Amino acid sequence: MSGEEKTVSNKQNKYPWSNYTLKLGRGEPVSTTQYVLYAVQIAAVIILSYLSVVLLGPLSYSGISLFYFVYPFFLVFTLWWGIWGILGAYIGCVIGAGLLVGLTPIVSGAYAISDFIPPLVVFIVYRGLLANRGIDPLWRDLTDKEVAGVKTKRVTAWILFIVINGIILNAISAELGVGIENYYGLIPSGAYWGWWAGWFFGDLIAMIIITPVLVKGLTKLVERQGLINGGWVT
Amino acid sequence: MARDDVEARTSKKYVRTFIFSMKTGTPIEKLHVITKIFMIAAMSVLALYMFDIPVLKGGPDIIGLIFLLTIVFVLLIISGTTKYLANSYLLLALPVPISEFIWWLFFNEGLPGAREVFYLWPGFFPIGISTAVLVCVFGVVYYRTRSIIIAIIPAVLLWWLTAMAGTFDFSPLTTWFRLPIGATYSFTLSSWSVTVALSKALGFAVMIYTSFLFLLTTRDAEIAGAMRQLGLSFKKAFFIALIFRSLNTLLIDYENIRIAQTARAAGVNRKNVFSKIIDLAYVSIPLVATMIRRSTEMGVALYARGFEASKKVTSFKETKRITYMDVTVIAILSVFLIYEVVLGHNINNLFVR
Repeated sequence: MSGEEKTVSNKQNKYPWSNYTLKLGRGEPVSTTQYVLYAVQIAAVIILSYLSVVLLGPLSYSGISLFYFVYPFFLVFTLWWGIWGILGAYIGCVIGAGLLVGLTPIVSGAYAISDFIPPLVVFIVYRGLLANRGIDPLWRDLTDKEVAGVKTKRVTAWILFIVINGIILNAISAELGVGIENYYGLIPSGAYWGWWAGWFFGDLIAMIIITPVLVKGLTKLVERQGLINGGWVT
Repeated sequence: MARDDVEARTSKKYVRTFIFSMKTGTPIEKLHVITKIFMIAAMSVLALYMFDIPVLKGGPDIIGLIFLLTIVFVLLIISGTTKYLANSYLLLALPVPISEFIWWLFFNEGLPGAREVFYLWPGFFPIGISTAVLVCVFGVVYYRTRSIIIAIIPAVLLWWLTAMAGTFDFSPLTTWFRLPIGATYSFTLSSWSVTVALSKALGFAVMIYTSFLFLLTTRDAEIAGAMRQLGLSFKKAFFIALIFRSLNTLLIDYENIRIAQTARAAGVNRKNVFSKIIDLAYVSIPLVATMIRRSTEMGVALYARGFEASKKVTSFKETKRITYMDVTVIAILSVFLIYEVVLGHNINNLFVR
């Protein structure tokens, strides 16, 4: 190993989360448990997307919810399970927040792109960029002072969490979702910003409240069972 | 053995679907899942196209949309699911087209045409069709929900929608008697506003009930079977089947956790919205933990049954053949699509000149 490679290797192993990367996987095929888990988590996202939209009844309209509580779920699932989480977010939106509430496959398939982009970007940014800069790609630093003996940067983690996920990606998601529905003639132009704000704040509130609960309560359990993906696929 | 299983299945009167159980032997049950998917895709393309025709090109195809909605309801009746639909989704889904109508009525800017007067309050209580709407909607919703508040909201909303158009209020055909109350409050809208808003509401109703038709009459195994017919490998088809099979189980898990939370007095004293949201957040932990546990158990069970090792697997028994009925349905819908979307004809123009 050359000196340069050693430096890179040392830098990568500085954090307990260095094994969570943007590689394809750990070089192992998908096990039967993972195979089932990936399918079941997609089903879970479908159900939660459906409930997110219908629990508010008539207030939710065209698949847009004023409290879209599935948003933090698929972000966390993506950080755990990579491409399968992203797939879950997309399919969940197509079926749960689309077909099951009466939107047709064409509209659902198009506007679900708004739920596909945020987890994709989150996975790339956190695993590829921020993990090497001391930010946990599993978001444990939002709730824990230490992860495996390494002190976390909680304030930075929270600021990045809100800016990246809550503001930037959420705004892109709202723009895409409401824009596509407006394009298909489901939302009138005069009501565009009203629905945009509903989408944005509905996702933001859900994300801030639910994500820490989800991370604190479950990440350790999932990690202990060896079910977190090392890369995109496994 | 496989033949016995198929006979056992086909001899059943009802089979389980995504969100209900379906009567066997109906023409809709016999349709191939690919035909059903084509049907909802075609119907949605037609609805999206019909309600989006610009005013300058003749405006939305209202009669075409009414025709589509009639087809959907006829198909629901044929499929034998109307009783379930009437008991559950019919009223639940109704607020969506109504809100669609209201949004498009007030937020659709820049429509051409003369301005027409609409009333917030016409200065009298009209006794006529609007009163009949008020009484009927209140009666039906109250009968279903036994709640005066829940019944009064849609009743008043629909009453107001039928009473706000000046032409309705002042026509002796629709208003038979007037009880003068208070002053008149009015506003003006483009004459096209109601047509466009109505077309959006009808289009949405077509899309909603077509989706329900699919969900009420399709089995998860049928989709997996169709995937195999389309040449997908067993593992991929089984993966899709697993997703659909897990939906119902997870929904039951969610309900059980909610009931357990209620039994532990969750949300008894805390009334504000944020407390309720936090309660909802706490459902997530047992729900995901259950999901992981179940996945692990199922994974082990599949492994023990040689899922990874098996080369030759039993195919899905629910796989159907494409019949002449499927071909007919696809052909009729294709002709309709070509007539309306490709050639740009409008059913409205056949009746309204």
